[in-house]
Formats: sequence, C-alpha cells, structure tokens
Amino acid sequence: MDENRPLPLGEVEQLVELLRESGIGEIRVRQGETEISVKARPEIPAMPPAHQIMGTQGVSEVVESEPSPEMDGLHAVRSPVVGTFYRAPAPGEEAYVEVGDAVSAGQTLCIVEAMKLMNEIVADVSGEVVEVLAENAGGVEYDQPLFYLRPDAR
Amino acid sequence: MIGKVLVANRGEVALRVIRACRELGVRSVAVYSTADRDSLHHELADESVCIGPPPAASSYLNVPAIISAAELTGADAVHPGYGFLAENARFAEICERVGLAFVGPASGTIARMGDKAEAREAAAEAGVPVTPGSDGPCESVEAVKRVGAEVGYPLVIKASAGGGGKGMRVVEEEAGVEAAYLGASREAGANFGDGSVYVEKYLERLRHVEVQVLADSHGETVTFPERDCSVQRRYQKLIEESPAPALPEDVRKGLMAASADLVGSLGYEGAGTVEFVYAEGEFYFIEMNTRLQVEHPVTEMVSGIDIVAEQLKVVSGERLEVPEEALSPDGHAIEFRINAEDPRRNFLPQAGLVEVYNPPGGPGVRVDSHLYAGYRVPPHYDSLLAKLIVHARDREASMRRGLRALDEFAVSGMETTLPLHLAVLEDEEFRRGGVTTRFLADRELESEGGRLRLVQHVS
Repeated sequence: MDENRPLPLGEVEQLVELLRESGIGEIRVRQGETEISVKARPEIPAMPPAHQIMGTQGVSEVVESEPSPEMDGLHAVRSPVVGTFYRAPAPGEEAYVEVGDAVSAGQTLCIVEAMKLMNEIVADVSGEVVEVLAENAGGVEYDQPLFYLRPDAR
Repeated sequence: MIGKVLVANRGEVALRVIRACRELGVRSVAVYSTADRDSLHHELADESVCIGPPPAASSYLNVPAIISAAELTGADAVHPGYGFLAENARFAEICERVGLAFVGPASGTIARMGDKAEAREAAAEAGVPVTPGSDGPCESVEAVKRVGAEVGYPLVIKASAGGGGKGMRVVEEEAGVEAAYLGASREAGANFGDGSVYVEKYLERLRHVEVQVLADSHGETVTFPERDCSVQRRYQKLIEESPAPALPEDVRKGLMAASADLVGSLGYEGAGTVEFVYAEGEFYFIEMNTRLQVEHPVTEMVSGIDIVAEQLKVVSGERLEVPEEALSPDGHAIEFRINAEDPRRNFLPQAGLVEVYNPPGGPGVRVDSHLYAGYRVPPHYDSLLAKLIVHARDREASMRRGLRALDEFAVSGMETTLPLHLAVLEDEEFRRGGVTTRFLADRELESEGGRLRLVQHVS
C-alpha cells in the first residue's frame, strides 16, 4: 500500500460493524492494492454479572441458598486456575468424559488453558460424572466448580 | 477512550478506579481472591473474576491469572492501582507484549525509577538537586568511607532496590561504616533479591514533600502544587496535606519546576509522584513513584482534577484536560489514613468483623473506603480501611473540619488509627504546621479517658 496514503480506518470501522452484526467469522475485501481483513475474536463467554449490593442497612443478610449438591453427597472438581475450559484434548476430538462415565482418581477430566498452557484437570476422587458445570470453550475463574462427581462408596 | 479496564487490585483503590471508569462510561473488570468474595470492588465492577486463593502471591500478584482474566473478559487496559503490581516493570512489560495497555509509564521507565540509585542519577542528569552522596551504587566499605570523607557524617546507606526503610542504615561516624554497609547490603539482598546499596548524607530534621505529575503522549506535562507527607510512622505515611504549610513560594516553584524537568527528561506518560526531602531551606530529590499514590485525593481536592480519570485519558492516547487554574491550590486539604491498627498496642494489626460503620459527611468531607457494616476485614492484606479527606478554605479551617469529621467517624469491631489522628490534630506543633518526619517518633502516646494524647519526649 502507498505509505503516504492515510489508512482507510473508516472502512475498517464499517467492516468491523458488519462483522459484528452478521456474526460471521471473517471478512476480507480488496480494492486495487489495498486488502483489508477483519476477523472475529473467538467467542468470549459472558461472565456472571456482579451482584447488586443488597439492602441499604449494610449488614449483609445470609441468603439461604438451595441445598448445595455437595451436601447431596456430590463432589465438586474446581478449577485451579483462571482460563478457558475445554472438554476435549483438541477441537473435533471426543470429550475426555461424559455424564454417566465412571472415572478413577487421577484421570483427566478436561483442560483449562491459561496463557497458552494446557492444564489437565484430573479427578481427585473415583466416581461417576454427574454433571458438567462449565461450558466448552468458555471462561472459568479460580475455584469455579467444573464437574460434579458422585464418589464411589468405600 | 479505551473500552474496558481490568483493575488489578483490591480495597479502596480498586473502588477508586472502578468509580472513575463508571463516570467515564468505561467498563470495569474486578479481580479478587477467595478471601475477597464479599468485597465491594467485586460487587461494583461490571464483571469480576476470581483469580486465586487468599495469599497475595497466588492472587493479586499472580500475573498469569490476571493476564488470563483480562483475556477472558476482553479487557483492553489494566490499572494496577498502588502496591501489588503497580511498580513491577516485568508485569508492565508482559502487558505491553500481550497488547494490554498498562495504566502507567512504559516498563523501561518503571525499571529505571525502581532502581533508587539509577533514579538518583537520572534526577542529577536532569539538573534536579539530589542529596549529597554517592554517584550510583557503592560497591565497597571503602567507597562508602570516601563519600563520608567528602560530604561528612552522619550518612545513610540505602538499598538500591529498596523502599519502606528496609536495607537502610544510619552511620554516625567512620568507625560504624563497615557494620552498617554489610548489614544494609545483606538486608537489601534478603528483601529485594539485590544487595546493592548507595549512600547519602543523612538529614535528620527534614520534611517530606512531593509533587504530583501527569504527562500525556502529546508531550504535555503538568505538575501540581506539592503535598506534605511528614507525619509518618516507621516510614509509613499517616497524614498528608496540600499545599505544604509555611513553604516559601520560591521553594514551591522550585519543586514544581524540578519535577517537570525530571519528568520531561524521562519521556514519561501517565501519573507519577516526585518525592523530595526539604531541610534548612533546601530540597533534594529522593525518589519517583511511577504510579497512582494513596494520597492522590488531597491533590484532587485542591485542584478539582480527577487524577484517575486523567490516567485513563492518557492511556487512551487522549490529551490531558487540566486547566491552568487547577494548578494553583484552591484552599487546603488534609488526608488521614484510617488503618486497622491499634495505636494503644504498638499499632498491632487488626482483622475481623466490622460491626458498625458510619463515615462522616457534610461539606468538604470525602471518604474513600471499601468498608460496610458486616464486612469482614481479611488478615491477608494491608491495613488501610479508609481515607478521610477534608477540604476547606485554609489550613486552620480544614483542621477544624478534620476534628469534626474524625469525631463523627464510627467504626466498631476493631481498633483503628482514628484516635491517633484526633491526638495529632490537637498537638500544638502540628497545628503550627511544618513538622518534620521525626514528629511521631519524638512523642509518646498517652491514653486518657478513652482518648489519646501525644506527649513530647523531654530532650
């Protein structure tokens, strides 16, 4: 491109808008020697919204939550890092585990990618996978429950 | 303007940044440790990400977790607040590499000013007066003795990588050099992983004055009227005010001009503070903090400028918006740091449940705090609970306002520094103004009918 010509930022802006509205992955246009390509970022999961502050008196009330599945004898496997949750070793491959699978302690359940590092998350108890709690390719925070396992009876 | 800022901090400063974001229409992302699940910064930000367990090393200093949180939430800038990663050149460099705008100067500038000996050299090169002492680090006992012979005793040996009084020794005479040098160097090595030290003439009766600066990427630099932060305990500031009481006008102008020269020579961008000591009519550079400071609100009160908002404009590539009249102080402001420390028991740190929290209000009163009744102060982090800032037409009026506001301030569930501040405001020497950094060390605290009183040592 001619270095003395201003960058066609207006056009780029329009393309970004078009990309956003259309939901498609990539747009490429060419005019003469100028080629512009805009790509969508991989889907960024919505984080749970921050709670509103409760009440005006300031004293936080203890909100009685539903009985936690952990009290139901279920065991939560939590994320040790902030990152992106993947159920399979690579795109297109089979998930490490499905609901209903029996897993043994030490078995890989998923990957949490953080800064390009693939952290394999393993079951810390043997049991049955009852629920997958995080969405594939979604963001997870530290300590977020990823799976519920029903531990084997001893 | 940038679209979304991740706030890599907690407590009142995280709230301060989130508030600025909200007013500018910038989205904010809070990060928090599992000890801070009930914290206001986590509640008030648009989004939040839990980044680790309670110890700061695993959460608020956990660079991979913070960078991952920024990536997951699509943040385009990181505001480090003060403390934690605010002056970590490596973190700033990582942000630069992954395309996150770091709210602060370039990583190279942070590294340069973070090395105290190098900062001294930079100041001297920019024509800013530095305390008589060594040029750069001192590598031997003999080098220290040579400086002593040149500038005279007492001397102070300081850690190049240091701060907060660690790796620091005062030497009264040549015979004490060897022990002090080895001790300071060893302590510096243990605390900062760098044993190098430098030497300055020790000034005993001095005031701590500092200049807030802001610089943008268009080459504009503004320097604000000075703050006086001489009321300290063990090198920790407790009360800050602006302008400095009874400071000659030519000294004020000199401080502002010297700060502008230094900042200009660095190609600085963002907010920073140039710190000086002032003794016997002369001022000398001590260090530069390349970040937002705890006491920035006193400058905001007398200038009407939102320093955090200006930081966000600078990082967005916009121009500073500081009108000329903001640079001459409007009245007088004083800040009191309300810490979770018991002044009756040697400032023992406190933690636990805040039972009652009722901050003062009324004209000229500002409280920056993350407290609420029912909040549990975790034991893992620093002890700052709240900053009370009072503003009035002159120093006398702001001291009266301070007394009134401190008296109104109700916090129960733990001991705080509130009664100490009341005692300082009742001290005659403080009221006269211009106390030195020895002010608190020269006094005993006496408890009297539920109140505290400062009693000067008989010397």
